[in-house]
Amino acid sequence: MRRSTAAAVGTLTGAALIVGVRLSVSAPDVTAAPPAVDLAGKGGAADSSPSKKPTKKPADSEESEDEAGDSGLQDGTFRGAGAKNPYGTIQVSIKVTGGKIVAADASYPTTNDSATINPPAVAKLKEATLEAQSADVDAVSGATFTSESYVKSLQAALDQAGG
Amino acid sequence: MRHVEHVMGTAVSIELADPLPDADLTTMIGDVCAWLHEVDQRFSTYRPDSEVNRFARRELALADCSPDLRHVLDACADLWRATDGYFDAYAAGPLDPSGYVKGWSVEVASQRLAAAGSTRHYISAGGDIRMRGHNADDRPWRVGIRHPWEADKLSWVLTLTDAAVATSGVYERGGHVRNPRTGAVAQGLRSVTVVGPDLALADAYATAALAMGEAGLTWLPKLEADGYESAAVTDDGRAYTSNGLPAAV
Repeated sequence: MRRSTAAAVGTLTGAALIVGVRLSVSAPDVTAAPPAVDLAGKGGAADSSPSKKPTKKPADSEESEDEAGDSGLQDGTFRGAGAKNPYGTIQVSIKVTGGKIVAADASYPTTNDSATINPPAVAKLKEATLEAQSADVDAVSGATFTSESYVKSLQAALDQAGG
Repeated sequence: MRHVEHVMGTAVSIELADPLPDADLTTMIGDVCAWLHEVDQRFSTYRPDSEVNRFARRELALADCSPDLRHVLDACADLWRATDGYFDAYAAGPLDPSGYVKGWSVEVASQRLAAAGSTRHYISAGGDIRMRGHNADDRPWRVGIRHPWEADKLSWVLTLTDAAVATSGVYERGGHVRNPRTGAVAQGLRSVTVVGPDLALADAYATAALAMGEAGLTWLPKLEADGYESAAVTDDGRAYTSNGLPAAV
């Protein structure tokens, strides 16, 4: 549980950094992860001094856990303002229970504009019909034959016919 | 004028379609054959005293190698990188750049013919072909790609002017292509053909794709950006072509 909470905070911090950079959302102190998101202006930023760092050391984990209890975060689910970029809108949300962030998520576009960030994959070979035809040709390309097996090749027949 | 020369362990077919005096054409063909025999002497791994083998035995320092051999070594290193390691001149252990040398020697031969005044010819070294201009009927050359199971049939016909066509397959000298990463005989693809401007590269690409197995089907399309089109047939008979393959309708 503690581990998952830390993961959630870490994810949120990453998302918050992205959102903050993209929109220049008022984030004077980006190390304060939860406030940086400015959750829909819902007073989530009331506490501007949570000491919880995203890069907490193992030794600090117990302390951080304690602080989470009086972090000043209101319970509930909060959504950040949508961050628009050339590829669509990204929206971050967190769920707070007992003053702790217990879940973090981000919605992102999967259609329309997002297609430009995920252009069609590299070209593919197309499946074709394997024919077995006889045709008038000047030369034949095939797996390299030996000097001995040449005589049985189509190329040998062409060379003979061509004189 | 046509000619067949047995050299480099295979048969090399040459056709010159230039409207030039026979004496000139004969001289040109003689020059091509002399060059191919020279390459065989210098680069064959079957000849203990070849330059390649002397270099491999460290009797010859890199700095003392001919510019040709240094070019071949550089090209093999570049191809090793470009093919993700699937074209490997050291796949069998000791240095063996034959997979590059054959296509390169024909590429050089075609350049020499062009320099000597031939603008319409093809040279096929055992099924790997470099051509220029038009055929004797004033049309683009028509090159058939051998059917991977029926030796007397074709699976595609290409129309080409200045281009190279190389095919690697497992049907002629079964199992001679190995996956250099595993050492196992390549499986998954029965035949790979690559068409593009340079025969040495086309040949190496075809060999690499065959060594990759079915994964080669997703690697080959990446060559299109460099002007190399492809066609491939899987072991179970599925056929694939790149979008720009110049196949005759």
